[in-house]
Amino acid sequence: MSGSKKDPFFVGYLSVPEGLKLFLIATVALLLGCFAALALTIGGTQDDPGDGAFRFDWGRQTLIGILEASPYPIVHVTKGTKRIPTGSTVLLSGNGKRGVQSRTTPLDGELVEISGVAIKRGNIEMLQLRGGRNGIKKVAGSVQMPSSKLLGRWRLSGEICDGKCFTGTMRPGRRLSHKACANLCLINGAPPIFVSSAPVNGTRFFLLVNSEGEALDNKFFHHVAQFISLEGTVEKRGNLHLLKADLSSLKRVP
Amino acid sequence: MSVKYTPVQWNANKYGYDLVLIGMVVLYILSFLNVAPMFLDHARPTDGPIVRARAFGTCAFLLLTIILCIGPLARLDARFLPLLYNRRHFGVLTSVIALSHAMFVMDWYFNFAPQSKLEGLLGANTSYGQVLGFPFEVLGLAGLICLGILAATSHDFWLNFLTPRLWKALHFLIYPAFAAVVGHIALGSLQSQDNSIFAIVVGLSTALVCGLHALAAWKERGCDKRGNADAGWIIVGDAGDIEEGRAKIIKLPNGDRVAVFRHKARLSAIANACAHQNGPLGEGRIVDGCVTCPWHGFQYRVADGRSPAPFTEMVPTYRLKLDQTTVLVDPNANEPGMFVEPTALPEHMQ
Ligand code: FES
Repeated sequence: MSGSKKDPFFVGYLSVPEGLKLFLIATVALLLGCFAALALTIGGTQDDPGDGAFRFDWGRQTLIGILEASPYPIVHVTKGTKRIPTGSTVLLSGNGKRGVQSRTTPLDGELVEISGVAIKRGNIEMLQLRGGRNGIKKVAGSVQMPSSKLLGRWRLSGEICDGKCFTGTMRPGRRLSHKACANLCLINGAPPIFVSSAPVNGTRFFLLVNSEGEALDNKFFHHVAQFISLEGTVEKRGNLHLLKADLSSLKRVP
Repeated sequence: MSVKYTPVQWNANKYGYDLVLIGMVVLYILSFLNVAPMFLDHARPTDGPIVRARAFGTCAFLLLTIILCIGPLARLDARFLPLLYNRRHFGVLTSVIALSHAMFVMDWYFNFAPQSKLEGLLGANTSYGQVLGFPFEVLGLAGLICLGILAATSHDFWLNFLTPRLWKALHFLIYPAFAAVVGHIALGSLQSQDNSIFAIVVGLSTALVCGLHALAAWKERGCDKRGNADAGWIIVGDAGDIEEGRAKIIKLPNGDRVAVFRHKARLSAIANACAHQNGPLGEGRIVDGCVTCPWHGFQYRVADGRSPAPFTEMVPTYRLKLDQTTVLVDPNANEPGMFVEPTALPEHMQ
């Protein structure tokens, strides 16, 4: 110990001077108290991640439907399950951040059986396919591709998300802290979803394609996860809404 | 003070210090992960790895904030000096917590892809030309690299290997690290949540760090008396102003500081910068006949600036003279460790 009681002087390798003990105990208590309080305050005010989720609780879903491979693979279900009924339109993905384009392109327009685990958020559904032919195979029969319906031209405000994370693989799977993850999914073939702040025809979720109805080009990736507005034509294909957007109409919304 | 290197020279205060540090971290992480969810206004769970990344990330930020507050706090009030004593362990722990945050992020956001995690981290978002949407992860990575360098070179071996001057300069990396981390949070996490509590915490923490530094600098400028010259000698002040066992610090025209100590009614002057990490010797005391550094307790004999055997550290000494009761110092420093006969105070002052 060193220094007088009134003027204590701390030397690390000597015992703590009497005059400092109370001060140090109070400082330690304050630090511990602040840390606990901040943990509860920050941890207890995290945003709601939304209702998207893997539906492992539904068990494996095996569906039959007509495959539309482009611009992003989707299946219009002709024979559904209790959970995903006939008439639904589901997006497809592979395991993790992998698309299934290599398996779906040769089967475009065919009647297929798909099998995997469902991911669902609101009215948007995705099936994460099992590997190889267990996940998707052609089946006998033929059905008509459901007709599409044009719902007019709209300017919508919202955010471009990747359909895999946003639908429920990641909670939360949107906003700027998730941008790189979303881009990685999109680069690897996940379908982009435009999440509009206002509904059109009862939905806020749109499969986003370019004005020609083709897959988005990489320039769009700079705008992923930001609040933007886009103009384009809304089309309902099966049970899924598409936004055919004009990149030149894109504006940042402050 | 060391004559040989050991991983850590433990003592009771260091054990206590580390125990408090670990207690803070454990308390924070456990409260965040296990207790805080009870206060959420929604029942839908956020992914475990994301919650863990948030817990460790916010914890690392708060630890970094405290580390940066310790220096100015100790300059403003000497009672905070004990917090400075083992600050390097604080830094090492902070970099470990920050690394854990990064691992949770890498293993979640950048996992499950055909690309490697690093490729995903650096290549997925290339919007460097934007503010919103900027790849804020690279700012976090830059902060983490800085913290890693600081942690890896925190041992006294590096201090001696690099020389205190270079080591000190290197350890100023803590400031770019803090700036990078604030940018990382501001462009990432804060753009991604509706609740503004964390934004307020980050704002207050940044204001606290800046405010305390400004206050300490202002106080230091106020105290920094530049001595007047008198035929080459610099006036320190009245000998009666120097308390027994303590020093008065004076700034020389070349910017160096000298600490003039009074010990047993005699005056001696040594350089103010400790040979260890440039701690302010003049803010220390004379303990057992030696000037004792207020930061980590290195000691120097007051008359020759040498650490007592077996230690070998040395600081420069200065010549003093008295004109009546006015103390004057020769601004030309002596070789480190050179003995200078202490100047006796006039009898009426003893
Ligand atoms: S700076 Fe570490 S003992 Fe002086």
